Amino acid sequence: MKSYYDITGDGGSNILEQVGAMQAAIDEKLAGVKHRLAIGSGKGGVGKSTLTRQLATALRQRGNACAILDADLNGPSQARLSGLQDVPLLPGAEGVALPRDANDVGVVSLGSLVPEHEAVRFDTVVEGDSYTWRATREFTAVAELLSSIDWGHLDYLLIDLPPGAERTLQFAEFLGSSTAFMLVTVPSDLARGVVARSVAALRGTPNRLLGYVENMRGYWCEDCNDVRPLFPESERIDLGIPRLGSVPFDPELAAACDRGEPAIGTDRPWWVAVRKLAEVVEETLETKASAE
Amino acid sequence: MKFLCVPCDKPMQLLEASPPDRGSVSLVYSCDACGYEMAMLTNPQETQVVTSLGVKIGKDGAAESKCPFTGMLADMEQADDAIRWTPGARERLSSVPEFVRTMAKSGIEKYAREQGYAEVDEKVLDEARSHFGM
Repeated sequence: MKSYYDITGDGGSNILEQVGAMQAAIDEKLAGVKHRLAIGSGKGGVGKSTLTRQLATALRQRGNACAILDADLNGPSQARLSGLQDVPLLPGAEGVALPRDANDVGVVSLGSLVPEHEAVRFDTVVEGDSYTWRATREFTAVAELLSSIDWGHLDYLLIDLPPGAERTLQFAEFLGSSTAFMLVTVPSDLARGVVARSVAALRGTPNRLLGYVENMRGYWCEDCNDVRPLFPESERIDLGIPRLGSVPFDPELAAACDRGEPAIGTDRPWWVAVRKLAEVVEETLETKASAE
Repeated sequence: MKFLCVPCDKPMQLLEASPPDRGSVSLVYSCDACGYEMAMLTNPQETQVVTSLGVKIGKDGAAESKCPFTGMLADMEQADDAIRWTPGARERLSSVPEFVRTMAKSGIEKYAREQGYAEVDEKVLDEARSHFGM
């Protein structure tokens, strides 16, 4: 008797072909993207999305065409951070137009479409059983976004991931080996311990892990004109990957993020640190690209 | 998933897919060699799992025939039609992923109303792109 592998096709539904066609459509739409960098974390709340947004701005200021895909479908924050709430997705002749913020960074986020007081919902025939299908549907949704947006030419596509080690691994497998990863943590052993799990998960994939960024390493005190400690200084957990930069917390930045306003153009320590990070990221990815 | 006619040792072919009934889909397969037919009846969870992959079930053109896995979202597009859409604009709208199409459509219609338009055509879509800085 024939086995599964002896039979070509599935008799008419062509499920696998359709999944393959989706991947081909993604490849086609991303053909003009030079570097894909996914930004993940262990736990939520470490400032990953804020850092992603600021890094994109710094890369743009260095002359790079840059965009962000907010892949955190259940907690999309890039629309607010970029001042793009209430901006509809607009279909153009070559696909859906890429919304752009005031700094000319492209931003695709469900936060532009779904009000913050509403949960992101998908149509279903099995209400109450979302644990059985929701994760699959979410990846399909990200695939649909990737394959429908007219990304055009980009030097950098930053992908803001949802938190969690298991999500980081799933996205590594979903996005493929050409997507590099960068992790964000805060300087506490609690957060570093969880990021260590993401590091371990990514080590089992062919994806390149550039390193990690230590966010909120101290806070900028305007009165003291100095960066003061925010977390207990501790590096007992060695992540075993390069530290790409350290960025201090700044209440002014937090307030600007809430308002969706750009906070750049200052010489405050956080922005100096983000610009330095952009330089390091650019150098690291470009060096790798030229070696290939 | 594939179906094999055991007596003939031949793969069976999808004959027809029926519209969903309370989340269940009926798919009829037949054997080209002996003509034997069988039906696969999905439970709603199985239907949902396949739907979640973003694929369509059925032979060519199933999407146009209100295939069970595509008809549901199409139904959501029966929105407030005070704003008309030209065929060209509708065609463009189809490039927006289905799961956010209704929301995108609402946003575009909101813009059209604010500008005093009764109809969305390709020119309005292009104008909206400029308006939003795209």
